[in-house]
Amino acid sequence: MKNHQLAWRNLWRNKRRTLITAASVFFAVFFALVMRSFQLGTYEKMYRDVIESYSGYLQLQHTDYIDESNLDNGFVLEHSLSDIIGADPNVTGVIPKLESFALAAAGSRTQGVMVIGMDPDNEQKTLNIKNRLIKYRLTPEATEALIEENLPARTAKLVDVFSGEAWTDEKSLISDLGISDEDSAAVMPLFRKHASLDNRYINSADSGRAIIGYGLSRYLSADVGDTLVIMGQGYHGVSAAGLFVIKGIVSMPNPDIDNAFVYITLDDARWLYAAPGMVTSAIISISDTDDKELLQTQQRLNELCNNGLVIRNWKEMNALLLNQMEADNKSGAIMIGILYLVIAFGVFGTVLMMMAERRREFGMLVSIGMQKRKLAGIVGMEMLFIGLLGVLAGVAASLPIVFYGYARPLRFTGELARMYEEYGFEPVMPMLLPDTYYLWQAVIVLLILLIAITFSVRRIFKLNIINALRA
Amino acid sequence: MKVVEINDVFKTYHDTAVEVKAVNGVTLSFDKGDFAVIVGPSGSGKTTLLNLIGGLDQPTAGEIIVAGHRLSELKPSELIDFRMEHVGFVFQSYNLIPVLTASENVGFIMSLQKWPKEKRMARTGELLEAVGLSERHNSRPSQLSGGQQQRVAVARALAPRPQFILADEPTANLDTKSAETLLDIMEKLNREEEMTFIFSTHDVRVMKRARRVITLEDGKVVSDERTNHNS
Ligand SMILES: Nc1ncnc2c1ncn2[C@@H]1O[C@H](COP(=O)(O)OP(=O)(O)OP(=O)(O)O)[C@@H](O)[C@H]1O
Ligand SMILES: [Mg+2]
Repeated sequence: MKNHQLAWRNLWRNKRRTLITAASVFFAVFFALVMRSFQLGTYEKMYRDVIESYSGYLQLQHTDYIDESNLDNGFVLEHSLSDIIGADPNVTGVIPKLESFALAAAGSRTQGVMVIGMDPDNEQKTLNIKNRLIKYRLTPEATEALIEENLPARTAKLVDVFSGEAWTDEKSLISDLGISDEDSAAVMPLFRKHASLDNRYINSADSGRAIIGYGLSRYLSADVGDTLVIMGQGYHGVSAAGLFVIKGIVSMPNPDIDNAFVYITLDDARWLYAAPGMVTSAIISISDTDDKELLQTQQRLNELCNNGLVIRNWKEMNALLLNQMEADNKSGAIMIGILYLVIAFGVFGTVLMMMAERRREFGMLVSIGMQKRKLAGIVGMEMLFIGLLGVLAGVAASLPIVFYGYARPLRFTGELARMYEEYGFEPVMPMLLPDTYYLWQAVIVLLILLIAITFSVRRIFKLNIINALRA
Repeated sequence: MKVVEINDVFKTYHDTAVEVKAVNGVTLSFDKGDFAVIVGPSGSGKTTLLNLIGGLDQPTAGEIIVAGHRLSELKPSELIDFRMEHVGFVFQSYNLIPVLTASENVGFIMSLQKWPKEKRMARTGELLEAVGLSERHNSRPSQLSGGQQQRVAVARALAPRPQFILADEPTANLDTKSAETLLDIMEKLNREEEMTFIFSTHDVRVMKRARRVITLEDGKVVSDERTNHNS
């Protein structure tokens, strides 16, 4: 009889206890994995969104710009510098950007905004602003008109739920509103009629035109074709004012950005802020965005900079967001820690009970000649089996959920969505595909098992045969 | 030929407030083929003496020599191997490994000793036959009666041909018929395999069958009688 065969049979002598213990490990692993996947997926999406729609991976800035992000810390980007940066093997583009705060007014409402000036053709190398133009939106009027129409019941209900939302592509609209393939031929023309938006991107020649965020457009009740009044302070305190016709509305994933996003051409921005030839930063787009390669590229480029200029990476530029996520991450980790602590006590209880019940048997086995290390090996193996059973089942059960949650991110609507947006989060929670965090759960469970096994092995080595036999 | 030699052995327990001299100067020896029983009132030291002989416990003073091994000279793990090689144990109850079948239980010590499979199977079959349980070879202990379990335990103890078998009150939990059957089997094995048996018991049924009766009182041997029946 081999050790593992004995261990396997011992496992099933108290089937219920084994299953309950394995089940507790299973639930801990399962919940931890699903929760981690949500958390990490959300962070990753947020980082990606802010990188892709706002900061880019790397920026060339004035050293002081990170602390005081205003025009006075702008600079003139020399062609020679932009050329040698562009020559780096990992760099795909250098995109000058001039941005500053201002007040925007349309009709009777005013809102603080971020005016961003970039070259529209050049911009597409890095940010995805053109792809973010909205195609459909459910304004109150559109919602009402659509509900009047003869929509399938499910879609009609969802139109009401999603009222106020906007979509940049037809596919996500169809999926969000539950429009089936058969219905789409009949339903989509209705959406095109009531909810579509004729939305254009600006080009470099589009002087006096602006693209604004969907959130901002709603706040200002401003639509395509309306005129936006921008007022602010230009370079060295000069007053800045300009009129811009809204040419397009984009949906920016980060609500803070979406609510304050005004995008004009670089030339317009320089004119508005009386800062000819200047930029506040240049986004440097790169092809390999892997953490390690990113830092190496940053270091290489930094060696090219002088005159108070420096290369910042997205983590440095978004320290606030990173801190926020880090705090959230910690609270998640604490919750998982508590979960595992409870499980550890459960496992330990099982071990204690098992050791007490089998004391006499252990005494008998050592009496008739089984070495204690062999016995300890068998008992350790039993616990390992239980742990592995729980971990493998937990991993297996989490996989479909994680893959589904990755493919179709959870999207909040209504009150919950408003709440999220108020905190500056997009109310979308995608999941992160299996990664090192899966490994960590296994490591934690193995650690718990290791403690339990160490405990029982010690007990076996300290077993007094005479006392055990008398028990 | 002497299988066990016990020279002026003492075992004192200090666990409680009072000192208990469980074995108080015993000198004894057992020969190959003995069928001996240790009797005496409760608390007289029978179990303690058997534990010392089997190397489960170490004497406070004195020397025990089994098959040429001075037990006091063996390290704990060597003692375990010593028991595996030389001593067969039959306890009062809970002898068997609950997750193994009768034949796996009988073969257990042989497999600890790494007997080749065919030899082990043959020996297991032979002994299950001898204890009258061939048909139950595939039963788990929980499916066997108390008497049947004790017979399996005897077969297991005997299987690897140890120097002797120690049995602490093997019939204590058995009804008369089962006890008689077990004793028949042990007598037969004592005869046929020349196996040495050392029991402790309160049971007159066992005493009547023994060819040697050692009486303990307060940890001392007060009589050691050899009878001639059955031989
Ligand atoms: N581990 C121990 N710790 C303390 N005292 C013990 C221990 N084992 C036995 N004793 C004491 O030693 C004495 C002899 O005990 P032992 O169990 O050998 O008697 P016994 O003859 O087997 O009795 P019984 O017929 O009741 O089984 C008793 O007084 C008992 O209380
Ligand atoms: Mg006793």
